[in-house]
Amino acid sequence: MGLIRTILVLILCLWPALSLTGQERLTIKDDLGRTVTVPAKVLRVLSLQPEISRIVVALGAGDRLVGRDDFIARYDHLFAIIYPRQQRLPVASAVDGAPNLEQVMRLSPDLVFASPSEAKIPDSLQGKTGIPVLAFASLGRFERLFEEIQWVGTALGRAERAAELIEYSKKILERVQRAVADIPAGQRPRVYLSFWSSLTRTPVFYEPVTAAGGRNLAEGLLPAYLGTVGAEVNLEKVRIWDPDVILVHGSYLSDVRRVTTFGILGDSRLRSVRAVMNKKVFYTFGFWYWWDPALVLVETLMLAKLFHPERFPDLDLRREGNAVFKAFYGIEAGFDRLCRTLDIRDWPWQ
Amino acid sequence: MKEIRRKRRTWLAVGLLVLPFALFFLSLNVGSYPIPLRDVGKSFLSLIVPSLRSEVPPAVRDIVLHIRLPRLLLALAAGSSLAVSGAALQALFKNPLVNEYILGLSSGSAFGAALSLVFLGRAFPPQAGAFIFGVAAVLAVLFIAGRLEASLVSLLLTGVIVSAFFSALLMLVEFLASPYALQSLFYWLMGNLALAGWRDLALSLPIMAVGLLLLFLLRWRLNVLSMSEEEARALGVDVRREKWLVILAATLITAAATSVAGIIGWLGLIVPHLVRMAVGADNRAVIPLSAALGASFLLAADAAARSLTSIEIPIGIFTSLIGIPVFLALLKKSKKVWL
Repeated sequence: MGLIRTILVLILCLWPALSLTGQERLTIKDDLGRTVTVPAKVLRVLSLQPEISRIVVALGAGDRLVGRDDFIARYDHLFAIIYPRQQRLPVASAVDGAPNLEQVMRLSPDLVFASPSEAKIPDSLQGKTGIPVLAFASLGRFERLFEEIQWVGTALGRAERAAELIEYSKKILERVQRAVADIPAGQRPRVYLSFWSSLTRTPVFYEPVTAAGGRNLAEGLLPAYLGTVGAEVNLEKVRIWDPDVILVHGSYLSDVRRVTTFGILGDSRLRSVRAVMNKKVFYTFGFWYWWDPALVLVETLMLAKLFHPERFPDLDLRREGNAVFKAFYGIEAGFDRLCRTLDIRDWPWQ
Repeated sequence: MKEIRRKRRTWLAVGLLVLPFALFFLSLNVGSYPIPLRDVGKSFLSLIVPSLRSEVPPAVRDIVLHIRLPRLLLALAAGSSLAVSGAALQALFKNPLVNEYILGLSSGSAFGAALSLVFLGRAFPPQAGAFIFGVAAVLAVLFIAGRLEASLVSLLLTGVIVSAFFSALLMLVEFLASPYALQSLFYWLMGNLALAGWRDLALSLPIMAVGLLLLFLLRWRLNVLSMSEEEARALGVDVRREKWLVILAATLITAAATSVAGIIGWLGLIVPHLVRMAVGADNRAVIPLSAALGASFLLAADAAARSLTSIEIPIGIFTSLIGIPVFLALLKKSKKVWL
């Protein structure tokens, strides 16, 4: 009897600890198939993957960021708009490169987000520092982007906010897709994407174009694996395709932009291409270390209006763009500010 | 027997000289866009007979005259330049393993192009960066090695050191580059004629033409320079001046070719040896025939690069994949050393 009483007392005393143990940890499987246990309360976050850094801010957890990667620091002019405080964050890693382990330890994050592009880094970082590392990326797919938002939200205890953002995003995409669903394939504009500062490098898939009722001419040219997206073609191929629309990667700042719309319009090698003859050569945002989750929605709206203006007569892109940025980041005129930063005079709606 | 061999060599030489022209016309008809032969001809004739323009679809005319023609001319010029440069330097340095990039030029050019692609934006095209730093690398070699008083061995060793230096700088630029600039740089380094246009030709062709002409005129002196310096001087050759001229010409044509086509390896090493296996080691024949075979080689590689698959394969991959096994096979067959 005495023994039973002792055991019962022990159980009663330990019960709160046992309950907490169940709540202190979450188990999440990342994009590399790694099962990672993360603390239930994550107050300090180190994101070494720019797309996730943007998602963290969108989830309202920007103030938990304790560091950033080199791409955010040096190239991401959008991030500087949505989260100006990022300039005070120390840099802990090169883009897709090995992180500075001592810096990571110094920053003492509860959780690190990394890119799955460098498969060894998450395990190596976690093994050496003991800090849980999750590797996610959308790899240019909407479904993966929503999963990424969901998992990052779960890891940060912001699952509700994540669900809100996903729902909001899906509503916008569904609105666009519904409006263009009945357009037969033959009537969808044939689009060539000149990306990554090259006339001849093009993505083999780009979902905003497809969602907006267009057809990416390079679709399926190469098998896309591990996020391999780009294919190198030549000008004859572009001429054979004879696109209705050419979209130029516009996320580069104007002084470093190597391929420009006026350059293409004035290129004698392309003058007989339909898009050039009809002056349908425009900028689009494109990949910028995968996506900004707000900007990709605005881009889809922009392309929908460009491809099928008659189906979106009331779409005011500036108003909607600013609304999307406000919904994601809580900032005013975010889209306007980005356009001014990129200094593009000939966006499709202008 | 000697007479048969001489006749054989003559026919081989004639064949090599004709080959680039044949390949050029064949290549005009090769590409992703199917163009009937007569339309190719009409496109050219329409330059002289404007009334023919209406008989050729504008797309065909643009492809033939603005995409294929400048690209093929550049392949001709660059292939000749790289091969002749390799041949001249092999004769000068009396070393069969020398290639056109031995004096640090490829690393210098790569660094110059990287600087432009990563840091300097549209105002400073990679062609300019590649040319300037390619030449700068060779000048650095000459300066460090004590101009041309230094022995050829010390020139070569200095070339290796300067090459390593620029390679280190290149790695630094690659490390600092955004992932997008890195992609552009990566393709440039593999060699690519996909974007070749009339402007590239206008900028690089005069330099290549002058350099090639100079080396052509110096070709018999390369025979003399491939002897010892004492022997060469005894034959009345100003060794220092001739060395200077050969290195200058080889540097300029290699830098010009590399600036517009990227790094295309193995041409300058393999082509001169193939020519020597066919016609002997006399530089009076080796130089012009290296030009012809180099041009042919690059034309063939370019035709393969743009027509084998839907995507454009960097030409440097072809020159390596094709050239090395061919060279190994012929080397094994002949078992001769030609220098």
